[in-house]
Amino acid sequence: MMASIVSFILAHQGDAADPELLRWIKVQMDHLVGSGPWAVVAVMGIVILSMPVFIVVVYVMQSKRRSDVAPMNQERQEQERVR
Amino acid sequence: MTTTENTKKPIYYGWYVCAATLFIGFVAVGARNCFGVFVVPMSDEFGWNRFTISVAAALGVMVNGLSQPFFGQIFDQTGGRKLILISIVVLGSATAMLALTFHILFLAFMFGLVVSMAQSGSGPSNTAALIARWFKRRRATAISINSSAVSMGGMIMVPFSMFLLQATNWRVAWLVLGIIVLSSLPIAYLFIRERPEDRGLYPDGDPAPLDDPGNATRRGLSGPLEVDTWKQSFRTAPIWQMAGSYFVCGTTTFVMSVHFIPFAIEERGISGATAATIFGYMMFVNIFGALGAGVLSDKLGGTKNWLAFAYAMRGIGYVVLLTVDSVFGLWIFATIAGFSWVATPVLTSSLTADVYGTKALGTISGITFMFHQFGGFGSVLLAGLLFDITGSYTLPFALVGALLLPAAISAFSIKERKYSSRYQTQVPTPAAGD
Repeated sequence: MMASIVSFILAHQGDAADPELLRWIKVQMDHLVGSGPWAVVAVMGIVILSMPVFIVVVYVMQSKRRSDVAPMNQERQEQERVR
Repeated sequence: MTTTENTKKPIYYGWYVCAATLFIGFVAVGARNCFGVFVVPMSDEFGWNRFTISVAAALGVMVNGLSQPFFGQIFDQTGGRKLILISIVVLGSATAMLALTFHILFLAFMFGLVVSMAQSGSGPSNTAALIARWFKRRRATAISINSSAVSMGGMIMVPFSMFLLQATNWRVAWLVLGIIVLSSLPIAYLFIRERPEDRGLYPDGDPAPLDDPGNATRRGLSGPLEVDTWKQSFRTAPIWQMAGSYFVCGTTTFVMSVHFIPFAIEERGISGATAATIFGYMMFVNIFGALGAGVLSDKLGGTKNWLAFAYAMRGIGYVVLLTVDSVFGLWIFATIAGFSWVATPVLTSSLTADVYGTKALGTISGITFMFHQFGGFGSVLLAGLLFDITGSYTLPFALVGALLLPAAISAFSIKERKYSSRYQTQVPTPAAGD
């Protein structure tokens, strides 16, 4: 019973954090990368931090389109109202 | 050809909000999921046994589940932006401060109380409620993207923290995780806005209706059972139908989170590595299940039918798990259950917003989430108890699996066409900015 409670608590912190699964993931990653832990940390860190950068870049790239479309929307609504 | 047609439409701002909440959920839930990685090194250094450190984690589970309705209410009252920003600051700082752990009480306070409460504030329940304000026609799709952050966080942040731990030590690893959580603050500050009106937009980027543009946004998001307070919603049938089935959702997923691998090893005779592979596959598949459920629900309609289908599919998965006595049965179960794993929260959140509107959605979602957690907690304990008594997982799995039938019926019997706002208002045509 106590073992169930303990394992539930630990597992609840995240499905991926199951000890067996963690060991398996690590072995697979070691095989895949074949480098030291720092290399994996660096690659994954870049992947993680590139997400917000990507969002900002897309937003900035779209700024011209937004500024082009805003007055046109306003103009179209005015025309439809007049009609 | 007019100038308007020549100009490409910009991405609707709601998608930036969705992307921001995806990243927040990714780092926030991911950092919390990493706790399991720290159990052994911290226990070794301080001489704690597994039970001692689990007390801190247990407190976290309880606080996270119980505080969700209260943070949902704060979300509804304040609009969400401030709550999410403050929660990120607290969550990131508290995660980084776990590097200073010197006593189990410090860990219990910082992780069990501060981190868990902050996680309730910026968690998927509240961010889904935020997303629901920005989308109507594509609500389920947007919520499914937001929800997939949970799976992605587990799949990327956990291995990341494992290698970080290997490269450094647990103190540095906690500090780095805290910094990563804090890195979501600028993106949240820049992109999180409470409502489309804040940007002069309408849900989904649709154009303003010509007849009454001033109130169109709010009216467009209203369901016939729209409530101002969560108490009103609990006087109607759909919330009980959804909460009841969500309880079963927690029951049937949590029990697998804990007992699937032991079951596969002990009762199907496979190795731990194979069991972990199947479990990992199930977690990977759930990303596609969540996204697929959202897209299908938006494209084809009938959210409650998809919800019922997801529960029924999971039920079939349980039948296969218990009747096919081979590793093949485990793979089939993993495929079926994996697809339905995160599909049900996505569809439940979307349907709740469609039926009850967005005014009290944070609180209502927080309460249904609590039902989900109670179901999960109870099922895990029940399964452990029955395993100890019978020496097998057959009875507990059969019991929780059998609950999926009433869950599917409960979901299917929701009168969506009568109550959902999707079936009450005319769907506007997409326009520039969509």
